[in-house]
Amino acid sequence: MEAAERILQWITEAGATGDLMVAEGASLSLKARDGDLEEHKVSSSQVFGIRVIKDDKAGVAYSEASDNAALRLMVDQALTNASYARRDANEQVPDKAITLATDDNLLAPTDDVSVEEKIDTVLRLERELAARDKVKNVPYNSVSDVTAAQRIFSTAGLKATSRVRACFSQAAALVEDGDKNVMEGWGQGARRFDELDIDNIVETAHANCLALLHGEAVPTGHYDVIFDAQCQPTMFSTFSMMFSGKAAKDGINPMRDKVGEDIADARLNLFDSPLLDDGFGYALFDDEGSPTARTPLIANGNLETLIHNSATAAHFGLQTTGNGARSPRSTLEVQLHQFEIGPGDAEDDAITSGEYLELTDLTGTHSGANPVAGDFSFGASGFLCRDGERIQPVRNITVAGNFYEMLNKIGLIGQTRYWDMNRHAFMPRIRFSDVAISG
Amino acid sequence: MLDTSIARSVIDHAISLGADFAELFIERNQINNISTLSSEVQAVQSGIDFGIGVRVVYGTKVLYGYTNRTESDELCRIVTELSAMDLRDPETAVARFDFSTPNDIHHAEQTLTKGSEVESKVEYLLKADRVARAASNMISQTRGGCLQREQSVEIFTSEGLHASDIRNYIRASLSAIASNGSEQATGSFNDGGLIGWEIHEAIDPEKTGSEASRQALVNLSAKACPSGRMPVVIGPGFGGVIFHEACGHLLETTSVAKKASVFHDKLGELIANPVVNAVDDGTMAKEWGSINIDDEGMPTQRTQLIENGQLTNFLADRVGAEQTGYDRTGSGRRQSYKFAPASRMRNTFIEPGDAKLDDMITSIDRGIYASHMGGGSVQPGTGEFNFAVTEGYYVENGKVQYPVKAATLISTGPAVLKEISMVGNDFALACGMCGSVSGAVPTTVGQPSLKVDDILVGGNA
Repeated sequence: MEAAERILQWITEAGATGDLMVAEGASLSLKARDGDLEEHKVSSSQVFGIRVIKDDKAGVAYSEASDNAALRLMVDQALTNASYARRDANEQVPDKAITLATDDNLLAPTDDVSVEEKIDTVLRLERELAARDKVKNVPYNSVSDVTAAQRIFSTAGLKATSRVRACFSQAAALVEDGDKNVMEGWGQGARRFDELDIDNIVETAHANCLALLHGEAVPTGHYDVIFDAQCQPTMFSTFSMMFSGKAAKDGINPMRDKVGEDIADARLNLFDSPLLDDGFGYALFDDEGSPTARTPLIANGNLETLIHNSATAAHFGLQTTGNGARSPRSTLEVQLHQFEIGPGDAEDDAITSGEYLELTDLTGTHSGANPVAGDFSFGASGFLCRDGERIQPVRNITVAGNFYEMLNKIGLIGQTRYWDMNRHAFMPRIRFSDVAISG
Repeated sequence: MLDTSIARSVIDHAISLGADFAELFIERNQINNISTLSSEVQAVQSGIDFGIGVRVVYGTKVLYGYTNRTESDELCRIVTELSAMDLRDPETAVARFDFSTPNDIHHAEQTLTKGSEVESKVEYLLKADRVARAASNMISQTRGGCLQREQSVEIFTSEGLHASDIRNYIRASLSAIASNGSEQATGSFNDGGLIGWEIHEAIDPEKTGSEASRQALVNLSAKACPSGRMPVVIGPGFGGVIFHEACGHLLETTSVAKKASVFHDKLGELIANPVVNAVDDGTMAKEWGSINIDDEGMPTQRTQLIENGQLTNFLADRVGAEQTGYDRTGSGRRQSYKFAPASRMRNTFIEPGDAKLDDMITSIDRGIYASHMGGGSVQPGTGEFNFAVTEGYYVENGKVQYPVKAATLISTGPAVLKEISMVGNDFALACGMCGSVSGAVPTTVGQPSLKVDDILVGGNA
């Protein structure tokens, strides 16, 4: 790649080391409305991003323009930016002169679905859901097909290329019955378009609407709670900063001094599992070219380690855990690949015995959580259940608490594990005790 | 930014394929972002985004594509690909481009083009850092940021519009963590506008630092919040997020046209307590959510949304206006060239009334004073919303008792608008980012203190 070689040469000539990330993408997105195509969006994009390190100071810059002058300006800006940064000898370009590549057959498989067939798919999605009982309309629906490629080159000789494809379909229906209304939906992700199961999305979205249509609040109090296969990963992701070595280095991770301590119920075993190839977070190497591995984060309730890139690992005198993350626009960060929780010992009947709330939807997770303190308060809906049976749909409630305290309020952990809709987490059901509900 | 002859050839091509309307949106976005941590510069980042959005409309069907390239062949290829399913004989003529430069009501002086002013910004952030840390030895960490952006846009349409504008955004912030050894709490303060770095003459690092640390220390002493339905007084400024979420999104034709808004058929009806008057105004000089022209090239305006409780207007972009029949309001906005425009809010606020904050507090037997609000979200179809209290106090017998933490307010738009019983005289605005179908755009929210008689408070007590 001629541009990459030029950029690395400019960095070297400036007496610096560095790496270049080139991200390219192509996408198709379709939406339907009242039986016709409402939006048809196509894109092709490219962005160059560099990190330079000079005199132990790092600077980043990016450019979407790829002409010679723009790329030269990008390098000059990164060098200028580095001159203002604090000195940090721990952040260096890893000494890796290796070539890495992902498997297109696994991560970016092709199929024979034409654009016309994809348009038919979104029209069928809207039409069939709109025809269901009590559905007023289907205001939110889409199918998309995105292919993203990323190339990383470093002055040390790293050449890492990866390419992933993600197809997605989702629909949300507005259902009305008298003065009651509800909007619920469903979606599915896949690596091949022909793996999208539109019939199941229609069926599940409609079932979700009808199930919650006549929901009412339950009385304010403390309940046993089971978050469903979507909501439970959302809870863990919302507070994933607790595992960040970068946040620990920055002094904002509340778990920064608790590695080696018991922080959760002794039955909880939680991993970062990049090698589960059923998941969309599957990765063999990170954005520094470091190999990934299944990393135990919590073992029998004990905080085993935080996740690290090469810089945070060096700061703490450790080895990277293969969680280095960068985008063309960002500095070096850390990122989990995909959550895995080990199976517990509770059978289904035990998990669902007696009375509990099954929460199937959380709102405000972006604004109602404070990962520094662990406090949260979210809007919620779901079902009041007894002995595994849903006995009342529940809406207009809030669930609140402190997530870090909740990790010690685990009643039971199930044996069966489930992937979430986005295939980023593989977890059994956990029954949490004594959770504050407002209704 | 794009040669007029290329724009002409691309739009001619779209119309020749039978499109009713074609548009090119060219954007160059320059950013400079400085962050501080632990009383040092953590990083300085910069970059340039550049791309062209191509919109082709057949009836109410929107076809959209984008690219980083400027060649006519590439842009025409996108048009051809988008139009493949809709080809027909030309039904409209292309008008001659009539170039216009908008009246610049948000002129900026210290722009990124003139210089990044890194030293001056670092000085501001580190002074705020020192002030925050000096407030208490329980302030364990601070993080500062100053993001400046210069967005140049150029728009060509088949109706002959050729407009360009430059928007200069800046926002400075500081967040603080307070710790007592076993617990941590956070506080923050930010300010910004559609202006250059000359904003530093109007914003005060002393206030930025002291407000961030004050809030962190208050939250560190906070107790669990009571739960259940109760009256809530929502403080001025960012408290306006309640109206933004509960009502503003439901007045965008993006949801109105789909009948996915509970207000879609309520124009002219009383939808709020008659004490409520609400406005969306893009003309406010140098405010964060202001614009000169929207992202479809239409001059911005002030739009009265609610007058004495009655719904008076929706917010309409070009497609939304065609779909609903309502007039365009200069509200077509998008995050970048990667998004088709949609009807979006600008500076949205409830106008001041004449009530006093003290009288609102005094009128409460048992409730919450939410002095500072965080973000939230809404489901337009049902109007159900949630938003977070970032600084709140328990009120009993007409008096503020103690600070509370981890509270969310949930309700529906129609319900909460009717529960507003008192509107204060302490009006303020606050800036934020609003995410929706056309991406994240700068918006200002605002209100005076409001009393909501009955709303569900989600606490942890």
